[in-house]
Amino acid sequence: MSATAPVARPPRPRTPGGLVGTLASTDHKVVGAGIFVTAFGFFLAAGVLALLMRSELAQPGLQVVSEEGYNQLFTIHGSTMFYLFATPIALAAGIYLVPLQIGAARVAWPRLALAGWWLTIMGGLSMWSGFLTQQGAADVGWYAYPPLSDMPNSPTIGTDYWIFGVILAAVAGMLLAASVLATIVKLRAPGMTMLRLPVFAWTQVVSCLMVLTAFPALIVAMALLFAQRQLGGVLTTPEGPIAYQHLFWFFGHPVVYVVFFPFLGAVAEAIATFSGRRWFGYRPFVISLLLFAALSMSVWGHHMFTTEAVKNTYFSLTSTALLVPAGIEYFDALATMWRGRIRLRVPMLFALGFLVLFLIGGTTGIWIGSPALDYHDTDSYFIVAHFHYTLFGGSVMGLFTAIYLWWPKVTGTMLRERLGRWHFWLTMVGMNLTFFPMFFLGEQGMARRVADYPRSAGWTTLNTLSTIGSGVIALSLLVFLLNVAVSLTRRVPAGPDPWGGHSLEWATSSPPPPHNFDALPPVRSFAPLLDRREAEQDRGDARGAVA
Amino acid sequence: MTDTRREFDQVAGLYLPIGVAVVVVIVALVVVMALRYRVRDGEQEPGDDGPGGRRRPSRIADAPRAEALYAAVLVCIAALLVWRTFSTEAREDHPRAAATATIDVTAARWHWRFDYRGTGVTQLGGDRTPPTLVVPAAQPVRFTLVSIDVIHAFWIPARRFKRDANPGASSSFELIFPTTGFWRDGGECSEFCGLRHAQMRFDVDVRTPAAYAAWLRQRRAAAGAVGAAGAAG
Repeated sequence: MSATAPVARPPRPRTPGGLVGTLASTDHKVVGAGIFVTAFGFFLAAGVLALLMRSELAQPGLQVVSEEGYNQLFTIHGSTMFYLFATPIALAAGIYLVPLQIGAARVAWPRLALAGWWLTIMGGLSMWSGFLTQQGAADVGWYAYPPLSDMPNSPTIGTDYWIFGVILAAVAGMLLAASVLATIVKLRAPGMTMLRLPVFAWTQVVSCLMVLTAFPALIVAMALLFAQRQLGGVLTTPEGPIAYQHLFWFFGHPVVYVVFFPFLGAVAEAIATFSGRRWFGYRPFVISLLLFAALSMSVWGHHMFTTEAVKNTYFSLTSTALLVPAGIEYFDALATMWRGRIRLRVPMLFALGFLVLFLIGGTTGIWIGSPALDYHDTDSYFIVAHFHYTLFGGSVMGLFTAIYLWWPKVTGTMLRERLGRWHFWLTMVGMNLTFFPMFFLGEQGMARRVADYPRSAGWTTLNTLSTIGSGVIALSLLVFLLNVAVSLTRRVPAGPDPWGGHSLEWATSSPPPPHNFDALPPVRSFAPLLDRREAEQDRGDARGAVA
Repeated sequence: MTDTRREFDQVAGLYLPIGVAVVVVIVALVVVMALRYRVRDGEQEPGDDGPGGRRRPSRIADAPRAEALYAAVLVCIAALLVWRTFSTEAREDHPRAAATATIDVTAARWHWRFDYRGTGVTQLGGDRTPPTLVVPAAQPVRFTLVSIDVIHAFWIPARRFKRDANPGASSSFELIFPTTGFWRDGGECSEFCGLRHAQMRFDVDVRTPAAYAAWLRQRRAAAGAVGAAGAAG
């Protein structure tokens, strides 16, 4: 049978080995994995900062850090999570997987992608080096509103290092997005039309589009802030700070979808694979992604409801409208499971956890899209709870879905099922224990970004519960790291396709060779391997009928 | 009159049941689907469903009509929520009542100052004690809000309301405090403003209109006495 077409094999490049070889590689798999590991390191580091914050908040009074220290902790925690972890890791997944999913041998512009890795590292070093200075790291919050972030109010050099770090990371994000998007536009395999892109690749398309439209606003905001700090006269009151908020949130809202969609894509791939079913409603799903991305560029003002500087009703309308594309995505996920053959393996567990936890983040997001409700809840712990349900419950659960799903492909070995289940259930318990009490704390009047709260407020029990939860999350991550160590030392070979995957990356060896594919199956839909499996089933049925 | 807490409760009264229902229904569907269509351990390998063998997964991959109908339902829900929000927003942004008192609020790192307009009365905290915002009950109170340094936010959780205090640009709004009472730390800054952000609080003291008027007279007399003493000295 002629199910495979030969693919031209490019000459294997001669590259030096070791660290230099890795840092100079233009193999998208090396670059992608490198960014992934770097970003995951930042995730763990920012998690340590979160544990310090939760320790401080466990009881009223200041026990663990000073107020100065606490302000640095939440600033670097949030900044690291967004700029150095979530954005790079979401795009790193694209750098690694997109060429494999679309049947390409490389990414377009691999040196841009490589530069993206370097700049991410440099941005991280710059941001974190503030801790080594006498006055400490930046302490102005991850969105650094002027005039608080202006020189007279925050004269520390750490804040300048932070601005450099953010600019470097933002440029890195744009380079990575350009590379991924160009790969999808230019390098698709024969037969792979845009409407045959795997679901994950589509989520990368929308994320990259948002990066390329939103991140320039961040770079401009940071440049203006730097100029204001050094020269003055740029972001002068009263209009300057409001203009900065517009620029910042024009980036700051889309970025939460940038770091959400690729993991939604991973969840979709996992649900389809472990249900043994084609992803349901592919076209409506793609349309909803594009609608979601378009709307998300016009909702930034909901971060500014209490400023009186935006038309609240307009931004309330666009924000509430987000429930339509989000609802379509849930419909497709549930319809894919319907009448499937569901295998509750670890990637599927994390995918289901994502559906449940993100749902809470999403519905509370609609809640605060209403100004009357937001007037109370904004800048309170309710917001902290809400966005951790979207970013931890959504993005991080989706990230672990992706890790468990594609780990065998990337490393060639399996992660352990039992440790994975422990990881999953500890994450579910820890996540809810940490963040659910925060909804009540916010409703009861606890503001965010406070190192201390009065004992008389009656918030001690909920805060203690939350702190215990953060310990459970830390434990879950230790279980995950143990799983990684076991998987890498006692290797259980994965084979090319351990799960019964649907898209092209499962048609090559694990890990893939430098040129990715020796041969490609024909691409007649967004799930070419499922097509082949179903065709074999049908032939088997026909033979059975004849016999 | 704009009772911000009542507005909050009314909007929440629509949003909360819908939100809880959505979460409950979808979580239930996720769990039911996962258990109903689960295959057991013995049949977990992907390639094991041969001819005439175990149950095959459905191959239906879209349902455009059902999905369009569902999307229409979503649009209706969004429209309902937006309608409720808009009707509240109109009332909160355009208060019609005539305020009986106007209090000029000044936010500064890390203190609040309340000036009772036209009376010369000012409420300030001490080094370790927050100031007390004294207001009459059941009467609309107009506030103007400004910051003299960085951005702060004036939040009274019991009123379910906050507003940013911007430097150089005054903002105004009306609140009504239906019941008398004293709330320790009843107001706070909720926009991060630097080192002592967590300590930037005030007490809220809601008095009957008569008690409020008496308090104001007493404070005016005291302020006048101080002013006279200052003039004499």
